[in-house]
Amino acid sequence: MGKLCLFVDRISQPSRAIVIFCLANGIAMEESEVDLLKGDHKKAEYKAINPMGLVPAIDDHGFYLFESHAILRYLSSAYPDVADHWYPADVKKRAQIDCILDWHHTNLRPGSGGLTINRVAAPLLGRPLDEKAAAESEVLLKASIKRIDTLWLNKEGSFLTGNEQPSIADLSLACELMQVEFLGEEYKSELLSPHPKVKHWLDAVEKALAPHFGDVHQKLKAGALAFRK
Amino acid sequence: MGKLRLFVDRMSQPSRAVLIFCLANGIDLEEHLVNLAKGEHRKAEFKLINPMCQVPAMDDNGFHLFESHAMLKYLVCTYPNIKDHWYPADLRKRAQIDCILDWHHSGLRRGSAGLVMNSVIAPVMGRKLDPQAAAEAEALLKASLGKIETVWLTGNGKFLTGSLQPSIADLSLACEVMQLQLLGKAKFSDLLDSNPKVKNWLAAVERTLSPHFSQVHDIIWKAATMYENKREREARKADGTISKL
Ligand SMILES: N[C@@H](CCC(=O)N[C@@H](CS)C(=O)NCC(=O)O)C(=O)O
Ligand SMILES: N[C@@H](CCC(=O)N[C@@H](CS)C(=O)NCC(=O)O)C(=O)O
Repeated sequence: MGKLCLFVDRISQPSRAIVIFCLANGIAMEESEVDLLKGDHKKAEYKAINPMGLVPAIDDHGFYLFESHAILRYLSSAYPDVADHWYPADVKKRAQIDCILDWHHTNLRPGSGGLTINRVAAPLLGRPLDEKAAAESEVLLKASIKRIDTLWLNKEGSFLTGNEQPSIADLSLACELMQVEFLGEEYKSELLSPHPKVKHWLDAVEKALAPHFGDVHQKLKAGALAFRK
Repeated sequence: MGKLRLFVDRMSQPSRAVLIFCLANGIDLEEHLVNLAKGEHRKAEFKLINPMCQVPAMDDNGFHLFESHAMLKYLVCTYPNIKDHWYPADLRKRAQIDCILDWHHSGLRRGSAGLVMNSVIAPVMGRKLDPQAAAEAEALLKASLGKIETVWLTGNGKFLTGSLQPSIADLSLACEVMQLQLLGKAKFSDLLDSNPKVKNWLAAVERTLSPHFSQVHDIIWKAATMYENKREREARKADGTISKL
């Protein structure tokens, strides 16, 4: 039997989420890099895996799947050693995780992803910068961070919905928020300064998933730094 | 145990999806209209149910939930006797449904809702029409319909991923496509004619979920006619002005 194969680029936030998930859960896998900057994701051989031409995607012994949230749910259920806190079997707890993940698609993700792409990263992908789009995304990003603070970090536990352990929603959103590293450490601190709970949560995710969270973010940090020079 | 309370506006596509799901599965519910055109979604009492101030949302005996996909999954797993085809227990089949639903957010929905909002209904919601945003959304919409046609309607079955029975992904996406009726008959046909499988699929969803699917969409037919008449009136007015010149 071959291994689970992940098609990822570590500069991509949903890619990092699934790599970290596998590492933190001891899921044996092979990481196959699809270099976004080289346009590997647009090649026909990759489109056979993910017809949308986006990373991440997986090949689990011939079963192809894309969309990071669907992948995280699938891995949580298909790999028996994954602890329940990642994607609780309890229907109400699970529904709350699903709700956050669905919310992510139209809030934090277009906020953070839209800002980093349109203000700095677009040329890397061969697209023009767009300050108007960046400014709109920034508004959405700030509103989204505030929502995380007031809706999901308003209970005792360190993680979303007041959990004591991280779920796939914590992982996905934390990787997304880390993308603003592209705008520099300072920008990130400033962004989080009105929301100490969110900062505390991000630190808690990093700590709970050490050393993997930090390791997998190396490429982003190094890339962002080099890019800003 | 009280009844499930749904907070919806039938003009909203995710609201209709949740409502049709309950009706098709005999789930007893209380429908609470949150009238978007009247701004009822911004009232304090609704904010207590959904702090994001959007429909749909629900209250299941004190358990509040929003985001239509999360609601559909919750209902499948909570209410007894829901047939497996709606959200299969088989992990790989379920993962494919999840994939379509996740894609929906940034693919079809962004295209369809963006086009309808920016070219037709913005004024009703107190916003401005935005032709440039509408054009961008239209490009995404066309690409998305093409993806449904070529990626998910390739099997033998009539439904997404080649299933013989509809899933919550069929329902959610079909309600989204129905929203395009608001663009007018000609535009709607135009969009679907280039994707014949999507057209057949939509008809199959409607037939399989009859009479609920059509009944819940009644409001959309009516609104579509109203907008069509309005467009005709405006066109005639414009013609009139031209002939007077
Ligand atoms: N909703 C998708 C998003 C995937 C996505 O947008 N991937 C980006 C990188 S973060 C990509 O592949 N972009 C390449 C491009 O847009 O050309 C997921 O969560 O997996
Ligand atoms: N992703 C959400 C979308 C909810 C949504 O966008 N609802 C719209 C109506 S279709 C709404 O309530 N809009 C009111 C507003 O944005 O002010 C879901 O699937 O439930």
